[in-house]
Amino acid sequence: MKRIWSRSHLFTSLLLILSLLAAACSSTPANQSQGETKPPENTPAQNSPAQQAQSATPADTLFVAINADQGTLDPAVTFDNGAWKITYPTYQRLVEYDGATTEVKPGLAKEWKVSDDGLTWNFTLAEGNTFSDGTPVTADAVKFTFDRTLKIQKGPADVYNVIQEVKVDSPTSVTFVLSQNFPPFLSTLAANYGGIVNPKVMEKEENGDLGQNYLANNTMGSGPYQLTEWRKGEYIKLTLNPHSTVKPAIQNVFFKIVPDATSQRLQLEQGEIDIAEGIPKEQLKAVMAFPNVSVLQEPSLAVDYVYVNSTKGNPALQNPKVRQALSYAVDYEALTSSVQEGFATQMRGPIPKGLWGHDESAHQYKRDVEKAKALLAEAGVSNLKLDLLYSDNKAWWETEALALQSFLADAGVTLNLKKIAYATSREMMDKGEFDLALGVWSPDFGDPYMFMNYWFDSNNLGLAGNRAFYKNDKVDELVRKAASINDKAEREKLYKEAQNIVIDEAPYLYLYQMDFQLPISKQVKGFVFNPMLEGIYNLADMSK
Amino acid sequence: MRQIIAKRLAMLVLVLFGVTLITFFLSHVIPGDPARMMVGQRASEETLQEVRRQLGLDQPVWVQYFTYMKGLLAGDFGDSIRTQQPVINDLITFFPATIELALTAFVIAIVIGIPIGILSAVKKDTGYDHAGRFFSIAGISTPVFWSGLVGILLFYKVFNLLPSSGRIDLMVTPPPTITGLFLLDSLLTGNWAAFSNSLWHLILPACILAFAQLATVTRQVRASMLEVLSQDYIRTALANGIHGPVLLFRYALRNALIPTITVVGLSFGSLLGGAVVTETIFGWPGMGKYVVESIAFLDFPAIMGFTFVISFGYVIINLLVDLTYYALDPQIKE
Repeated sequence: MKRIWSRSHLFTSLLLILSLLAAACSSTPANQSQGETKPPENTPAQNSPAQQAQSATPADTLFVAINADQGTLDPAVTFDNGAWKITYPTYQRLVEYDGATTEVKPGLAKEWKVSDDGLTWNFTLAEGNTFSDGTPVTADAVKFTFDRTLKIQKGPADVYNVIQEVKVDSPTSVTFVLSQNFPPFLSTLAANYGGIVNPKVMEKEENGDLGQNYLANNTMGSGPYQLTEWRKGEYIKLTLNPHSTVKPAIQNVFFKIVPDATSQRLQLEQGEIDIAEGIPKEQLKAVMAFPNVSVLQEPSLAVDYVYVNSTKGNPALQNPKVRQALSYAVDYEALTSSVQEGFATQMRGPIPKGLWGHDESAHQYKRDVEKAKALLAEAGVSNLKLDLLYSDNKAWWETEALALQSFLADAGVTLNLKKIAYATSREMMDKGEFDLALGVWSPDFGDPYMFMNYWFDSNNLGLAGNRAFYKNDKVDELVRKAASINDKAEREKLYKEAQNIVIDEAPYLYLYQMDFQLPISKQVKGFVFNPMLEGIYNLADMSK
Repeated sequence: MRQIIAKRLAMLVLVLFGVTLITFFLSHVIPGDPARMMVGQRASEETLQEVRRQLGLDQPVWVQYFTYMKGLLAGDFGDSIRTQQPVINDLITFFPATIELALTAFVIAIVIGIPIGILSAVKKDTGYDHAGRFFSIAGISTPVFWSGLVGILLFYKVFNLLPSSGRIDLMVTPPPTITGLFLLDSLLTGNWAAFSNSLWHLILPACILAFAQLATVTRQVRASMLEVLSQDYIRTALANGIHGPVLLFRYALRNALIPTITVVGLSFGSLLGGAVVTETIFGWPGMGKYVVESIAFLDFPAIMGFTFVISFGYVIINLLVDLTYYALDPQIKE
């Protein structure tokens, strides 16, 4: 009896669920045909997606399609550009990047002074800035923010490890004492991790986490916007900070998660979204033909280059002549026009064009196969076989690897392509287990330090920056000196000298700097691309 | 019956234990360092070590496993490295979306697949049979990323009937969470706007996913129907003047369904795990999309949680399949 009951019970409940869903599905055609003629009467017009697709999006609301959901949004934790597009407009910093330049302008601080030795920076705060809960931004909040970041000790703390102490002089005056002179300091304050956090976050603290758990999902800044809704896997919504003095035209911003590139492209064409971040380069030409869309194109500071393992890889690579030979073997023009569809510029040394310190007179390698062969012969190297390490992290690396393989083959060098999972490839790069490896790099702050000291200082071996495992005492001395003084002209001179050495010794193949491209609806006005803020929108100045 | 369930539940614990063991060690021997992913590439060694310490990655692997299992027994899946949130919260957010999609696709596959299978069997080697088989084989041999895109192109771009991504419109408030299934929740709360809107979003991905599963159902139904129809008792029934729907449904189908249930039930398990591509194409906020993002970030706790939940679902479905088996075939006794 018992058994029969349980059996029939199970069966009935299963049937119940199934019939319910079947009913739901069988109503499908009815609904569909309603959509064909006009939206169902009991549904408000904007509830029908098909309807929305046909009409333009609301003028006070911006729709941005992004590829993936974001991780933590805590400015003291995140090191991910994806998260910065949410945090940058929701926080303010002491100084801000000025328009499209890599220079800074006043932000929360209206003025600042630096001592001659570069160790003391004093900032005077402007009045009237308010966090989204109405709390005014004071010097205490500034001290709280940097103390918190340093206590949390995650990625951003690394940037601020030079800070010895933050002192509050008055509610509108704050002083940073540095342990050593660090000329790019001001520039780091304009980066995302310089965002000032509302000290009231401590009310949300759990198990001594300094509010990390709360800020992972919420924003507590004084920027013109605040995060009001985050439906995981679907969208992130920003609305205005009611207490901000800035009154933007765009009132709501939806960052809509659309992982598939083709979907993004179609939605952009239909006018359902205003900006599509995830359309690959090879599809952009088709997108340019859409009547309602333009593709913005600006030179970026992001570079694509090859690490030539100068100490830990194939022993032949320890000879600068062999590295030069590789540099001469590459056909840079063919590379940029095929791999990047022409939307890229060949590098001239490590510092990209657009950043101060770039040297337009520096030597630029051009393809010269005979010279490459001669250099290899001079070095006494024949039948050179090298491994090229790369991953699927960048879509174009596959083509690039193949192109490099054929260039080097012309000079008699056999390139063995080693495609490895991203995380694993990074581990191998960190340990120096490669001969050649593909990489990209973009600066966190607007200073040549980002290239010269990271790439060449032998204290930064591995993923940290010197991924070629290059060591040259003269270069070490030059870049370290350039990082210890504040005189910009003098620094530029030192970097120039160092650049000449590292171009000649070629521990990297300086391939190209990429163009930033963004398909954006023609309705959207006022977007300014700043190469330091790639993927970040100046929402408050934009309109539709 | 009770005994069987008890026995199977005991097995379930063992299976899940094995799953955690294997996934944990596998994911930890793969080179790659989540701490490195988190601090950014340029962090100094000290910062890296500090973050490793915070995440417990500086401990030996078996200590990490022990800590993880201790948490798991208390229902704690640990914190995601990427989102810094308890993994359980993420799973609760994403699991219902996957269930909703998989279940709907499953139902569509059955509702369409069984009649096609029967028709193919009854009208064996006729035009109907060939058409039915062609349709279902087309489904299984078309990759979802292709049929999905064609679907979007047709129904979103050309006809502009259905949305191309998401689970519900950005402007529509989803129903309050009761089961997490939007269709069910909006029905329960009488929210018709949300119901029609989420149904609207569900149609295309569910049909595409169902299309891919169709062949499993039709081929199985067809084969077992053919087998049953050639049995002696059917001939006896025919001789006794029983024919038409009564013969088909009461005599043949019931017996033909038994092997079908097994195959189809297990295919539901693969639907759960296999919705990954469909979810990515349609921007469906489910577990598949979540785990792809987590794998890219080497987010161990999230990957572990996902595997655990999927294995749990798989084992439970297996159990249900077997139980239905008993219900359908009184001959099978414990």
